[in-house]
Formats: sequence, structure tokens, C-alpha cells
Amino acid sequence: MTAPADADAGLPEPVPSRVGISRPAPLGDSLQPYLPLSTEETENLRGQHAGFASRFIAFIVDCVVSIGVFMLVLGAASFAASVLTGSSIHWSRANTWVVVAFFAWEFLYYAYFWTASGKTPGMVLLGVQVVGQDGSSVGTKRGLLRTLAFPLSFLLLGLGFLGILLGRDRRALHDVIADTAVVYCWDAREARLRSLAREGSSRQP
Amino acid sequence: MIDLVVESLDLNALIAQIDLNAVLARVDLNEVVDRMDLNEVVAHIDLDEVVARVDMNKLLARVDINQIVSRIDVETLVKNTDLGAIMVSSSSTLATEAVDQGRSHAVSMDDTLARWVSRIRRNHTGRAEPPELPNTPEEP
Repeated sequence: MTAPADADAGLPEPVPSRVGISRPAPLGDSLQPYLPLSTEETENLRGQHAGFASRFIAFIVDCVVSIGVFMLVLGAASFAASVLTGSSIHWSRANTWVVVAFFAWEFLYYAYFWTASGKTPGMVLLGVQVVGQDGSSVGTKRGLLRTLAFPLSFLLLGLGFLGILLGRDRRALHDVIADTAVVYCWDAREARLRSLAREGSSRQP
Repeated sequence: MIDLVVESLDLNALIAQIDLNAVLARVDLNEVVDRMDLNEVVAHIDLDEVVARVDMNKLLARVDINQIVSRIDVETLVKNTDLGAIMVSSSSTLATEAVDQGRSHAVSMDDTLARWVSRIRRNHTGRAEPPELPNTPEEP
């Protein structure tokens, strides 16, 4: 599971894992980057069902992006109103229109990205992608259905996400409803070679 | 006189009776080769003509390129040659490096979580077969 000895020279040894993917060794004081995954792992990663951490981090990134854009738009609207009318508008969560606009915006955000490419900005960053359960592209129907079913996983006290941790194919409730799955789509092999190249070029005079 | 004897002999029948393998077994071929001036032998060979006679397509068709490539240690090659530097300068930025590491950490966390869950459930069954991906370009 580990890379050849030469490749790992001077770097912390990855800790072997029982279920396939090695954990990085702690960096300690060396501040050296660890090699991202081993050769076998990188060759097999693409197309595997994505795990909870990757999906959760992607979701957090999407929250930051979507809420950030929404706040910017609200701020811009408030600024425009103050310039045009002379009186400023203070948005608050008590304002029904703000709440409705927020949910509409979130729906549009996820629906657009999932139907268009299967990847939200957060998913692009983490290298994961929504696909049909059979591996086909999501498409408009499944993308919209997934977006509509997404809140259900939250409304059931988060139990809808348990399938990602416990299920064999790591599917949440909204995945099951929309007949979709989330898979890794980044080229881990290329990333590993880039890492080795960086290490090699930093050593050469 | 000798000519008459030679003419009366059936040399082909004589040679047929000789066990050439036994004769060759007694010859020290290494010594024979050592005595040869191979440079002079090679100098007499028209290599261009030899190569011209070779059907390169047929020759290459018999070579398993995949097997040759699989024997190359690409990782060592990238690490220890200018190829690595070229790759870094052409494709790698600080942002790419950060993204690569972030994704790798996330995958490692996925694995850690999966291991914990497996231990808690005492269930060591493997994951489901992954779906076949659509023909979309890979993420860089």
C-alpha cells in the first residue's frame, strides 16, 4: 500500500490502513508535506463513492459561498436603496421576504450546479461529483429531485445523512430518493506525481 | 592419386555419418569467439541493409509496449529527472498544491471515519462497487 522506499525518502511514513487508504503521518515540527495517498490508492480512487468528510467539507464550502453571495446581494440592494431613496434598509431574519429569498436562492444554487455539471463549487474544490446511481450524468430531473429532497435529510434530525456513514454505497436519503450517488472525480494519480515532482525539483541544485 | 581417391569418396554420405553435435560439444566456442576480431566482422556487415530488410511494423507488433511501460518506475523518473521540474513549472501552483493536499486529507478523513464505523458495527464487509463514471474530463 505504500509507495516505493525512494519515493518516501525524507518524508514521514504513512500509517498503513486496514481498509485501503493510508492516513497521513502527523507533520510534527518538520512542516514537510506528506505524499498524497499511495500509488495503488490514487489509481483506484476516481469513481469510488465519496466519504462523509469530503462531502461535509464540500457542503461547508458551499454554505460559505452561497451565504456569502446572498449577503453581498443583500448588502448591494441595501446600498442601492440608500443611494436612490436616501433611507437605508436593514435586513433581518425576521423579515419573511429575506427568508423566502434565502431559501429560493439556496434552491437555485444547488439545483443549477447539480443539474448542470453535478458539481457545486465546494464539490469542485474537494474533487467530488454527483452522478446517477448507474454512473450516468445527473440530468435535470434527478438534479431537481435531489435538490428538493436535500432538506429532508436535515429535517429528519440529520438522520438522512447516516447512510453516508453506514451504507455500503455511501448514499444519503436524498441520494436514494433521486437515484444518485456522490463519487470522487479528481485525478489523485496526477496529484501524487505533482507532489513527487515538487519534492524532486526542490532537491535538485 | 589423391584426386582419384577424393573423387571416389561420397563426401555427403561421410558427413551424414558424423555426429556434428558430438563434434561441436568438443569445440570451445568461447575460445573461438575470443580469437575472432568482432570489430572486423561487424565492419564487413552492411547494417543499413540488415535494417532495411527488417519489417519494423511486424517487429513492433510483437513488442508489448504496455509491459515495457509498466516496468518503468514513473514515480522515480518524475522525482529524479528534469521531467519533474517541467511538470511543476507547467502545472503546479501554490493553489494546486493546497487543493491537492486538502483533497488528500479529506480522503484520509473519509477512510478514518469508515474505519471507525466498521469497528463500531463490527462489520468488515467491503464497499459497494463504484458506479461507472460518465465520460467527463477529470478534475485537475
